[in-house]
Amino acid sequence: MSRGRKKRILIAKPGLDGHDRGVKVVARALRNAGMEVIYAGLHQTPLQIVSAAIDEDVDAIGLSILSGAHNTIFPKIMSFLKDRGASDILVFGGGTIPKKDLENLKSLGIGEIFTTGTDTRAIIDYLNTTLER
Amino acid sequence: MGEANEKAAQNTQEGNWDDYIKAYYEKPASFKSWSGYDLKEIYKPGDRPEENYEQNIADAGTYPYTRGIHSNMFRGRLWTKREVVGIGSPADTHERLKYLSQHGGSGLNTIADVTYEMGLDADHPWAVDEVGLTGVNITSIKDMETLTKDIPLDRVSWSLITASTASSVTMAQYVAVAQNAGYDVGILRGSIQNDPIHFRYCGFGPACPLDLSIKLGSDVMEYCTKNLPKWYYTTVNMYDLREQGITAPQEVGYGFGIAMCYIDELIRRGLDIDEFAPRFTFYVSCHVDIFEEVAKIRAARRMWARLMKEKYGAKNPKSMQFRFAVHTSGCSLVPQQPFNNMTRIAYQALAAVLGGVQSLHCCSYDEPMCLPTEKAHLQALRTQQILAYETGVTNVADPLGGSYYVESLTDKIEEEAFKVMKEVEDVGGMEEAIRTEWLDRQFESEAVQRQKELDNGGKLVVGVNVFTTEQEKTTPLGVQKISSKSAKQQVEAVRTLKQSRDTDRLNDAIKRLRDDTNDSKNVIPAMIEATRASGTTGELLGTVREVFGYPYDPMETIKSPFNF
Repeated sequence: MSRGRKKRILIAKPGLDGHDRGVKVVARALRNAGMEVIYAGLHQTPLQIVSAAIDEDVDAIGLSILSGAHNTIFPKIMSFLKDRGASDILVFGGGTIPKKDLENLKSLGIGEIFTTGTDTRAIIDYLNTTLER
Repeated sequence: MGEANEKAAQNTQEGNWDDYIKAYYEKPASFKSWSGYDLKEIYKPGDRPEENYEQNIADAGTYPYTRGIHSNMFRGRLWTKREVVGIGSPADTHERLKYLSQHGGSGLNTIADVTYEMGLDADHPWAVDEVGLTGVNITSIKDMETLTKDIPLDRVSWSLITASTASSVTMAQYVAVAQNAGYDVGILRGSIQNDPIHFRYCGFGPACPLDLSIKLGSDVMEYCTKNLPKWYYTTVNMYDLREQGITAPQEVGYGFGIAMCYIDELIRRGLDIDEFAPRFTFYVSCHVDIFEEVAKIRAARRMWARLMKEKYGAKNPKSMQFRFAVHTSGCSLVPQQPFNNMTRIAYQALAAVLGGVQSLHCCSYDEPMCLPTEKAHLQALRTQQILAYETGVTNVADPLGGSYYVESLTDKIEEEAFKVMKEVEDVGGMEEAIRTEWLDRQFESEAVQRQKELDNGGKLVVGVNVFTTEQEKTTPLGVQKISSKSAKQQVEAVRTLKQSRDTDRLNDAIKRLRDDTNDSKNVIPAMIEATRASGTTGELLGTVREVFGYPYDPMETIKSPFNF
């Protein structure tokens, strides 16, 4: 991304999972760290998320799932991004996700997964570092 | 082995004596309660206004029930050991229920998954990927039959956790199965969560518009009051509110605000307070500050008793008794150093029991990672059993009563919770607080505050912001797998059912449901009939939704199949 421009981040809750305490806190923290955050809200389909990411020209997509649906929903999003030629958008996620699933999610191209107990500064640092590369 | 691990191993070998010595002289970093109240170093007789024991505290079993709702508490009956179960298909869930029944559980407790709570059938396009991941979907009477198979419904106590407007369908499905099996429904014992108003805050807004929440929630309450006298028809969910990050007094204040929405509606319908209030129950959180949680429960009991007597004119003592189940705090658990969660859960369960709980669910240690494995589930149940059978906490009612500290903290929480209720009143009452999203804003600002405390060390969590170690494995006892095969089978079974039903019978039942909704009648009898005619969750709710002017499908993806 070009320097000087504010980092644009799309935050979304895919699927039916309604746990949104964490995602709202993360959205607020990124905003306070000077990023432009678009919170797409609850109940987004993978296609809606990918379209919004492209339309909004974001640098990264943050996904939150606490319902266990990450193993089916994350791959769909990654595959739609690829189909639309938008694989350069960084995807990161968080939620109730066992460590054993991380390897598979990362092999799909997901940059990082942040679980409960993460310091919000770790997410900010991660985005600052990764998006500056 | 990673570099950090090597360094840690080296440290262990060589010892970390500087920190060790520092730890010897260490003082606690904070002297505040979890909810942020400054505490004194010791509490004495003069720390409370002159006590009027009979009026403010009284023996357990005596108004205002500060010390408990039964005079002998656990000597009369232990709390119900009721572990929540909901996993995969109705058959998978049934298996886990059987497993817990073989290991000393004492109350059945099943939870709806996200698809069922949203009011979707298992074959709904939004549901097929998510069926069974967070609970169980009961689409039709067939699923409820599978779930309850061979279980003596006339003798067990069953807690049905469906919170959204889908509670109305759950109740209809349970009653329909009991009727078909030949039971007299009047003897059914158990509870249904049925608190659709609060469930918008759990992300189920599309299924829980406010007017429909009050309508269907109250229909269940009214129906049970008249037909299932042993059934607890709501468990107003203060727990879910607390999990948003709010404080102990906010949990009580907002919870009571929502409870009063239902009570006011039932009174508007012409019911007498003493006719229905004896079956009103609550779901309470127990977070990790033991004394504050006990004080909260004691304050809630006293406040509820007075509210029912003074505001609503209740005369039956049972109407004034704050009955509650506890769910230990899911949001206090973390994936870092996961076995530590067992300790947190045990302390929280202790608080619940010291507070005089009626029914307890202990989280399993793997809650922040996945649904509980069988081993983790059993370990959670064992936590309850150790409390019940080894520790001696069941011997004496309200063992902390009379403690200068706990009595003082009880007064403090009561005072603060009244302030919260006053704030709600000042914005125009709970319905208005919800409509204007005032309550949403309170939740969000508290959640941000809690995260700040975690980030800046204002609240310490072992393994997260203190005593951190290289993370090894989040689920040492394995990860619960949800069989995608059984989910697919359930979806297929629903599709088959929809092809093979007696459509005339179904259409008649759906018409009646629509007419009854239109005529502002209680819809539960029509829902029972429609369920017995193989009508499904989505169809029943969709029909009622349309009458209220909402889209048939909460996800606005499919249309009503009924064209008449």
